Amino acid sequence: MSPPVLVARDLRKDYPMYGQAVHALRGVSLEIAAGEYVAVVGPSGSGKSTLLQLIGGIDSPTSGTVEILGTVLQSLSDRELTRLRLTRLGFIFQRFHLLPVLTAQENVELPMAEAGVPREQRRARALELLGYVGLEHRARHRATQLSGGEMQRVAIARALANRPALLLADEPTGELDAATGHEILELFRQLNRDGTTLVVVTHDDRLAEQADRIIHMLDGHIVIPERAESSAVHGLPASTT
Amino acid sequence: MSGLGWGLKSLGRHRLRTALSIAGIAVSAAMLLDMVMLSGGIEKSFAELLLAKGYQIRLTPKGTLPFDTDATLSGATELVTSIRRMPGIAAAGAVLGASLYGRRRDSLITLFGYGIQPEAQALYTVLSGGDLDPRDSIGVLLSLPAARVLQAQVGDTVTLVGRLDPQVVTAAVGRKVIVRGLVRWVYDYRDQPSVGTVLPVMQSLAGKTAGDQASLLMVRASEDTAAPAVAKTLRQRFPQVEVSSVADLVREFKQRLVYFRQLSYILGSMSLIVTVLLIATLLTITVNERLGEIATLRAIGISRATVVREVLLQGVSLTVVGSVLGILLGLVTARYLDSILTSFPGLPAAFSFFVPRRESLIRAALVLFLTGSLAALYPAWLASRAAIAAVLRAEAA
Repeated sequence: MSPPVLVARDLRKDYPMYGQAVHALRGVSLEIAAGEYVAVVGPSGSGKSTLLQLIGGIDSPTSGTVEILGTVLQSLSDRELTRLRLTRLGFIFQRFHLLPVLTAQENVELPMAEAGVPREQRRARALELLGYVGLEHRARHRATQLSGGEMQRVAIARALANRPALLLADEPTGELDAATGHEILELFRQLNRDGTTLVVVTHDDRLAEQADRIIHMLDGHIVIPERAESSAVHGLPASTT
Repeated sequence: MSGLGWGLKSLGRHRLRTALSIAGIAVSAAMLLDMVMLSGGIEKSFAELLLAKGYQIRLTPKGTLPFDTDATLSGATELVTSIRRMPGIAAAGAVLGASLYGRRRDSLITLFGYGIQPEAQALYTVLSGGDLDPRDSIGVLLSLPAARVLQAQVGDTVTLVGRLDPQVVTAAVGRKVIVRGLVRWVYDYRDQPSVGTVLPVMQSLAGKTAGDQASLLMVRASEDTAAPAVAKTLRQRFPQVEVSSVADLVREFKQRLVYFRQLSYILGSMSLIVTVLLIATLLTITVNERLGEIATLRAIGISRATVVREVLLQGVSLTVVGSVLGILLGLVTARYLDSILTSFPGLPAAFSFFVPRRESLIRAALVLFLTGSLAALYPAWLASRAAIAAVLRAEAA
């Protein structure tokens, strides 16, 4: 069995709000193996996006640790953490967040440029990735000239630019209509078949159902669903609290 | 280095806003440049004017400044002769300034007269015709305005009239002279009708023959660097006259213009503050509007340094474009203002208030560059400190 890409241990996250602590995560532990496709589901406010931010090194936990390919994120400096996000992780957001002043190709090139990939190499890779997501013909179009589905596909290509070990997606179909969302589902399935490790936070049942494992969250905990016999559930959380 | 210039391209997202900011910076830059030119320009122009012909020393009656036409030095020719014999002296000449008239048909036209020693003159440049011979007692040089009002050309004969009797308004002294050349007098104000004759002729017209009077003596030292030493020697040798080097005169002039410099510094500083506010405001608004985008960039691994650099680049680019336009605008404005100011009566036309010197341009450009960078620091810091998770949560809400 391949070593885990991600190990999270007893993650807790509290936010101060009106003088009181809001417990967004109350001790979450999980492991994700290479090549796994994991969906994180749960009602709004259950802590799934917070979990994604913590395992993506975007936010720091109040306590607990996150390990990505054996590196404990909490031991890294801000600069090292930024570098790790750049080279080891890929992010996909609900609102795409492409740079509107850049073309689709330039948006995909951006993380590679930051990583110091030579110009010709990164252009070739960007076109290859745009071809992968079916948008090679839109390479020269600015982000503002693309539809929602196209923007999300460009965002996926951007997330893949530096060949991340783990792809994290937060409600990737949240802003898309059903048909376009279906295209993204297909793309995610394809990505996973091609060996990409995926963690997807979603409300979209269709997206969750195609995952290898579904993690259910409620009130900052990972919970065992009542209907664990669901065909989509291939594994349980490493631990629950 | 991203090499994609997304920060710079972002300025194109709100073109009107960017254009207005650039216009504002350009106006501020123009004002700053004009103030920088003004602060040093008057002194520079004054010094250049005094040194127009390389004469670094002036001798005037005690307690006066050149060019006071009422006060005169006596024994001018003898004084000049003895100065010319001194070591370190390249040239020396006496000048007499006087009011006189030119006759045109039945009317008299007011003129300004220069009595000169053509072999050592620091007052004019011949534009057409020829120069006066030192012994030419029937020749005259005219400024272009004088030629115009007297309707005279080179070779024509004109009548100069001096020493009018105020009671009967008749000329006590009149003299027919031939126009030898048209010249530009260095110290004339705009459209000043001036004429020049050899010193004895002007002394005779002005009634200052007795005592061989002159308004001032101009002396050129063999070397510019020797001028202070020569001035010192002249002071010791001729204690009865005021000896001033151009450096002395510029120093005195500078002291009298302290308030002018202060004013230009204050106005220049104000224009810089406006530039800082413009850039800082524009970039802060831009950063705040793009906080979600910046948080995303940080989330996908774009470093703080890159974010800071891109925002600074925006500030510097705005400043550079605004400054280039501002410098052009400043030069045009300075020229226009100069034409207004130098048309004031009594000011030499060759005098400039705004002197476009290379060091002024470099200084203004450097100050603006630093200002632009400084102004972009706060928004750059703001962008680099964006709380990624909080911003993304707020964006998703």
